[in-house]
Amino acid sequence: MITAAIKKDLQLLARDRGALVTMFLLPVVFIAVFGSIFGGGDDDARRRLAVWRDPASSRAAAVVAVLEASGVFEVIEASDAAAARRAVADERADAALILPADFDPAGGHPAELAIDLAGPAQVRLPTIGAVTAIVTRAVFPPAPGADQPVLVAATPPGIRRELAGVTGFQVTVPGNAVLFGFFLALTVGLAFLEERRAGTWRRILAAPVSRASILIGKLVPYFLIGMVQFGFLFTIGVVVFGMRIGGSVLALVALTVAVVACATSLGLAIAALGGTEKRLGSIGSVCLLVMGLLGGAMVPRVVMPPLLRAIGLAVPHSWALDGYTTLLVRDGAGLADVAPQLAALLAFATVFAAFGVWRFRWER
Amino acid sequence: MTACVEVRGLGKAYGGRTAVAGLDLDVPAGSIFGLLGPNGAGKTTTISMIAGVVTPDRGHATVAGHRVGADRGAQRVLGLCPQELALYDELSPRQNLTFFARLYGLRGGALSDAIAWALDVAGLRDRADEPVRTFSGGMKRRLNLAAAILHKPTLVILDEPTVGVDPQSRRHLFDAIRALAAAGMTVLYTSHYLEEVAELCDRVAIMDHGAIVASGTVAELIARHGKPPLLELELAGDEATLLAARALAARHGPLDGAGPVVRLPQPPALGPLIADLESAGARVVRITAQPTTLESVFLALTGHALRDA
Repeated sequence: MITAAIKKDLQLLARDRGALVTMFLLPVVFIAVFGSIFGGGDDDARRRLAVWRDPASSRAAAVVAVLEASGVFEVIEASDAAAARRAVADERADAALILPADFDPAGGHPAELAIDLAGPAQVRLPTIGAVTAIVTRAVFPPAPGADQPVLVAATPPGIRRELAGVTGFQVTVPGNAVLFGFFLALTVGLAFLEERRAGTWRRILAAPVSRASILIGKLVPYFLIGMVQFGFLFTIGVVVFGMRIGGSVLALVALTVAVVACATSLGLAIAALGGTEKRLGSIGSVCLLVMGLLGGAMVPRVVMPPLLRAIGLAVPHSWALDGYTTLLVRDGAGLADVAPQLAALLAFATVFAAFGVWRFRWER
Repeated sequence: MTACVEVRGLGKAYGGRTAVAGLDLDVPAGSIFGLLGPNGAGKTTTISMIAGVVTPDRGHATVAGHRVGADRGAQRVLGLCPQELALYDELSPRQNLTFFARLYGLRGGALSDAIAWALDVAGLRDRADEPVRTFSGGMKRRLNLAAAILHKPTLVILDEPTVGVDPQSRRHLFDAIRALAAAGMTVLYTSHYLEEVAELCDRVAIMDHGAIVASGTVAELIARHGKPPLLELELAGDEATLLAARALAARHGPLDGAGPVVRLPQPPALGPLIADLESAGARVVRITAQPTTLESVFLALTGHALRDA
């Protein structure tokens, strides 16, 4: 009997694609994403260092030689000092090393390391440490005055400090609100399936009501619940956790409308895919978790490698969180400051809704 | 008699499989009309097309003069009671009925009156505010019917409305359906329970493979498609006596059965048969008449093969 029971459950499990995805695929995705965020030690994890040196300085040449030989950084040569600083501001490089003609640490003329000093510690501290070590080694043995700094770190102009002045709750409240807010999509999808399973769907279709009214009547309550959910979480964030809202509350509401509309229409798209409640529940959860992960709901996108940051733009979560970060952190930020995020979220909502309406199976 | 439902050339296919193949059907106004057929015969697809839930590939249906699908006129005058218990379990009967009534535009006093009437029809007035999930199968079935008739439709479509109910609830449903028909509603009724259909329906159509294979009153169908009723007699006597008695019985019709059991088509007069048997020395200890039923007609028309579609 036990053998038969084991065999039966193994057969059921082998057919449960949702469980298999959760058990095998999801951990691999999380390992890959978190691994690349926190440094996996491979080439992709190398920090990018923009370098400009005055050709007249032999010490600068020696530093660059040691730098290139070390293999610690992906060296990007800049045409001049300003270009090197711009590379950091534009996020093409994590830092820029500028070695002027009079570069002479012992003589009180250190190099300049352009890096966002308010940036994430995971990037800032190892970069400063490694560059300092390399420059020190290049100019070693130092001339008298070895106690002079070999470089001075400074933030270049024009840098976007996305997380400057941010408390933990200004990251975790919108992060979790967006992560769990988008689970509304799964609730919507399951509600449609339940309506079909119970037979109430047929009863509704037999009534003298237009199909547009049926969809609107079904989706609006979930949209309202989503708005209440976000309102509740942000209120808790402000009242209980002291989260600060630097920007306009009106813009925050507008952004939330776009986010919840996006989640609701994603629910319609999920409903249009159909399937069983069990399959939808498991596969939908996995997809929403991965979307949340890529969109920065679990780990801020600013600490992600460039490739992951680029991939993250393909999910609405990232746009939602970019918008919330702007409105929570930047004093006086308003609708105009989150216009790109609003536009992107409404575009996502339109695409999801269009797909949902196109693929929706009314008769089954 | 005026037809409440007229179906002409109605067809529907799913993928390559034909569910309904050019169906013609008339349901007389004010009748209780039974639609029978084995699993996969196309009954549910047919009533779904009549109810406007499924769009036909070809043909059309009209309900009380309204062409289904042309506008929402047909849907205003029909009520659908689906095979499933199409109710919200967490809501009360009153909340369920309020929602479904509002789909038909009922408001205010008309809404309250309709709910009170439908609760009475279902026999659930004193349980109107309890969650449906606490109800028995029979109570849910009665509420399922109530939700279909709230707006007092001209046509009510009942898709297997008595599945899983106890005899009391079945009797209550039958009485309610008869009362609805007496009040002028036309009832289109599908069921697997042939004795129910025979008892309840004025006319019957039998479907198979997406088409109507026979229709008429139950008596007409039996007369047209049923085998003659059988008479079964059990005799007592020794072997020679039984042999002689069987030989005499064979004069009254084609004989079946073995040993002391004699089975033959029901003769117009029983007396001469019994007299012949007794003249052979046999004693008749039991006589059983097996009438022709709708089930035998159904099986004769649709066959005995299992249908799993």
